[in-house]
Amino acid sequence: MDFFFHIGRYFTLLKRVFARPEKHKMYVRQLFHEIDTLGVNSVWIVIIISVFIGGIMTIQFAYSMSNPIYPKDLIGFGTRDTLILEFSSTMLALIMAGKIGSNITSEIGSMRVTKQIDSLEIMGVNSASYLILPKIVAVVLIFPFLFIMSVFFGILGGLVTGPLAGVVTVPEFLQGLKFAFVPYYITFSAIKSLVFGFLVASVPAYFGYYVQGGALEVGKASTKAVVNTNILVLFFDLILTRLLLT
Amino acid sequence: MIRLNNIHKSFDGNEVLKGISTVFEPGKTNLIIGRSGSGKTVLLKSICGLFEIDKGEIWYNDRDFTQITEKERKKMRQEIGMVFQGGALFDSINVEGNVRFPLDMFTNMTSVEKQKRVEFCLDHVNIEKKAFRLSPSEISGGMQKRVAIARAIALNPKYLFCDEPNSGLDPETATVIDKLIQALTKEFQMTTIINTHDMNSVIEIGESVLFISKGEKEWTGSKTEILSSGNQKLEDFIFANKLYAQMKGK
Repeated sequence: MDFFFHIGRYFTLLKRVFARPEKHKMYVRQLFHEIDTLGVNSVWIVIIISVFIGGIMTIQFAYSMSNPIYPKDLIGFGTRDTLILEFSSTMLALIMAGKIGSNITSEIGSMRVTKQIDSLEIMGVNSASYLILPKIVAVVLIFPFLFIMSVFFGILGGLVTGPLAGVVTVPEFLQGLKFAFVPYYITFSAIKSLVFGFLVASVPAYFGYYVQGGALEVGKASTKAVVNTNILVLFFDLILTRLLLT
Repeated sequence: MIRLNNIHKSFDGNEVLKGISTVFEPGKTNLIIGRSGSGKTVLLKSICGLFEIDKGEIWYNDRDFTQITEKERKKMRQEIGMVFQGGALFDSINVEGNVRFPLDMFTNMTSVEKQKRVEFCLDHVNIEKKAFRLSPSEISGGMQKRVAIARAIALNPKYLFCDEPNSGLDPETATVIDKLIQALTKEFQMTTIINTHDMNSVIEIGESVLFISKGEKEWTGSKTEILSSGNQKLEDFIFANKLYAQMKGK
């Protein structure tokens, strides 16, 4: 029953979120602020994680393909496809659920417990829309860019780490990158990142918006938000993979 | 003027407000007093529409707040200012930005006009210019309350609600806040409702006092009548404070 209650309340909140804004100018201003806070501030963590994972993947592919029967080109090929199909969209969304998601829940939750949301409501502002809509739009807009950036830096990580570790040469890695490339994989993962972006912003916002109590409850709500967002990201990953890839 | 007619409100079957009827007049500081848990905050939040009442009527002059559409209600909210217990300032924007927020959201004023209005409001609550650019976390509790009052009056409201505006403040600052609210009420002829359990506030600015107990209206009157009300529950509430017991000679 609790599950259906949350589903119902989540969609009721979304209905309020997508209501007509009171003043577009204020929402646009808020949108740029959110793009900066949630997007630009996430760039470094995405670069660092992607470079390391790209490097680690390359070494692990090299290790599992140490048999001379496998051409070394497969290392670059495997790194590329794993990054595009799964890591840079799904894994990144899981990581961002921790960073961006907990940020959204704690920000909105703190506003709830300190009566800032009541204050907006008293003024006649649709607090759900004003606080949540710019966050959703910002995250949905930035996720495809973070995805592309992650693929690029992941491959760069592999390209640097592989030859440095002596497991593959630069020409072999580059040859693998070009081998059997399917452009649709990019489209597929970009679609996934849009959906994940929506989940990573809206689910934590839901948990933050309905916090009751004090600081302790805000912390608990953040944890709940991250766990639930991760589950939903994986669930939608499965659905989208089944629908779009098979 | 705000008129309440037979207000009822329950939470999970627990009746918190049991048929309260009263009138709050403009240009006066109307106080709602009562013990913690008596229903003061629920009453105040019901009046300003943060809680939907189960039964009754809430009249803002000639408009029944419970019968108007959501759109009309939203528009009407611009006539309402509220000061919350903790100030409830937006901590992501500075003092000036907090006061400018309702102007940005609901008016078509130019930047210069908005700036003038912001300065006017902050000046009225005695906030110095050097504090304009500070964030709420950088100013004292008393200043936060004053900024909250400035934000509440930014749109020139007809109705001002204050939920325990001087809680957590030292007696001197609390008196300053009380006097400030009273002065603004007179100057702008607002209908002001203040929720408090502070007897000092009652004695200072209680032009009209509503005492509620367990969700019911027990007594109404003014600060001059309160010490001789003859209402046992009210006396128990007032004289719980020894100072007032001494005043009464108890």
